Amino acid sequence: MKPVNKDMLKDVAHSLMFDMSEEEYALLEEEFQTILKQMSLIHEIKGVENVEPMTFPFVVYSSYLRKDVPSDTLDKDEALGNAKDVVENQIRIPRVIK
Amino acid sequence: MKDYLHLTMEELHTAYVEREVTPLEVVKLCLEACKKDTNNIFEYLCEKEAISEAEGLIEPEEDNVFWGVPYCLKDNFSTKGIPTTGSSNILADYVPVFDAEVYHRLKEKHAILIGKTTLDELAMGGTGTSGHLGKTFNPYDPSHEHMIGGSSCGSCAAVAAGLVPFAIGSDTGDSVRKPASYGGLVGFKPTWSRISRYGLFPFAPSLDHVAYFTRSVKDAASLTTLLSGRDEKDATSSEQPVKKYNTLLGGSIKGLKIAVIDEILKSITDHDVLAAFDKTCEILRSKGAIVSRVHMDAELLRAIYPTYIIISCAEATSNNANLDGLKFGPRESGNTYEDIVTNTRTKGFSTLIKRRFVIGGYSLLKENQQDLFIRAQRCRHLIVDAFNKLFDSYDLVYLPASPSCAPRFDEKNDNLSDLYLLSDNYLAFANFGGYPSLTLPIGFKGNLPFGGNFTGRIFEEETVLNVSHVLMDEMPYYNLYYKEEVK
Repeated sequence: MKPVNKDMLKDVAHSLMFDMSEEEYALLEEEFQTILKQMSLIHEIKGVENVEPMTFPFVVYSSYLRKDVPSDTLDKDEALGNAKDVVENQIRIPRVIK
Repeated sequence: MKDYLHLTMEELHTAYVEREVTPLEVVKLCLEACKKDTNNIFEYLCEKEAISEAEGLIEPEEDNVFWGVPYCLKDNFSTKGIPTTGSSNILADYVPVFDAEVYHRLKEKHAILIGKTTLDELAMGGTGTSGHLGKTFNPYDPSHEHMIGGSSCGSCAAVAAGLVPFAIGSDTGDSVRKPASYGGLVGFKPTWSRISRYGLFPFAPSLDHVAYFTRSVKDAASLTTLLSGRDEKDATSSEQPVKKYNTLLGGSIKGLKIAVIDEILKSITDHDVLAAFDKTCEILRSKGAIVSRVHMDAELLRAIYPTYIIISCAEATSNNANLDGLKFGPRESGNTYEDIVTNTRTKGFSTLIKRRFVIGGYSLLKENQQDLFIRAQRCRHLIVDAFNKLFDSYDLVYLPASPSCAPRFDEKNDNLSDLYLLSDNYLAFANFGGYPSLTLPIGFKGNLPFGGNFTGRIFEEETVLNVSHVLMDEMPYYNLYYKEEVK
């Protein structure tokens, strides 16, 4: 596993698009000492290679096809109502192509 | 005047049908009490909405136990036109444009939403301390030194304080069932997929459940009847038939096989909890149930908590990627859209949430994914296999819901001890396997309550509810809420 240090924690935070203070990174690095020990407990479990990763508690038999009938959708005002910067029914962000 | 504020839902319904009192009178009493809250329960009090709804309720509906009943909703359920923050600054001014299915069903039955309750930020936490409004207090401790637990802290405290007969929460690891123990309440999560999660802010969808707090098992059963069933808007909701669970209570439990897991029970050191638990086992035996101590692989049980942390944090990391300040929520400034997103998330999330996201991100790193995330998912499979095997021979698992009463806010844990890993965090096994699981009060330590927990096979809600109902009937904890004379 990738060793835990402040730089690595910063990389992960930045990849998740947020930052923390130096004190917060230091606290997290310290916290990771316990987290890694807890995580190591799953490495003591035997037989994991014999089972598939479980992504849901059990199989749900469900039809993912809905009937082809019109249904209510959000109108423009509702869809854009929570956005902070709206121009001509579109959410405005800084120019992407310079 | 009769104390209408402190009735169970069923009792209040009877009072309405007999025209002793009207929903408007009860709602006014309720709002008055909520305004005096000192436990930091509410994100938003729905005063105008509740009064308006109550004013329209004149003719009681005899066959509708929800008619005119005030209740609270955890602030991670979407409510159209009513602010919904998830107790996070990143959604500080968010107003949903649609209703969660749970809210929709309660509204159709004319239950009256009194308030949106606070929570650990975005439901990620177990202490009721990390929401943007700060700590929520345990109503049983007026000195405010003990927690009510989380993440559904506000909903639990609202029912435990006697403000409403029921409140809706969500349970991803134990977020209703553990607080229920600390608040002396019934806390029930039915089978995963039993209730639609449409409109519930996702934390870790493979583990997330709708759950609720009540002061009687029958009220929990009535909610299960109403809220269960397929919802086309939630593709994971089950098509299994729904029973009238509230009519299936009170049957004999003779011959019911109940397993008590030795390794978990042995990790508990609190004599009050152990004595009360033993007493309940004797009650169950006296009613004809077969209560047996069983053994499970302790290493597998110790792996429940790390498995939970890895999976839940990893799923949360992905699910909360949409909180970017562009489409909704407060927006910070920036020269590029990436800057806007980064600045918004940096300012909007609390330190604790960021730390959890980093744990999730670490587990998902290319170098770690097999060793952590995928391995945790495989561990989950083995844990669920072990419990399914247990359920081949036993109808229920029964254990103390928490190793003691509500901890103090300043209490330190040894996070590698068996007390922490086994008895304090085992309840997540019911989220791994999606099993129906119910906490109910079984005793007091000083002035603070604690609970026991029954967990059963998937889609066997009636077994879990019935045994809980039978046990509660034999104890003095029906309709429990904080009042000064409670001991």
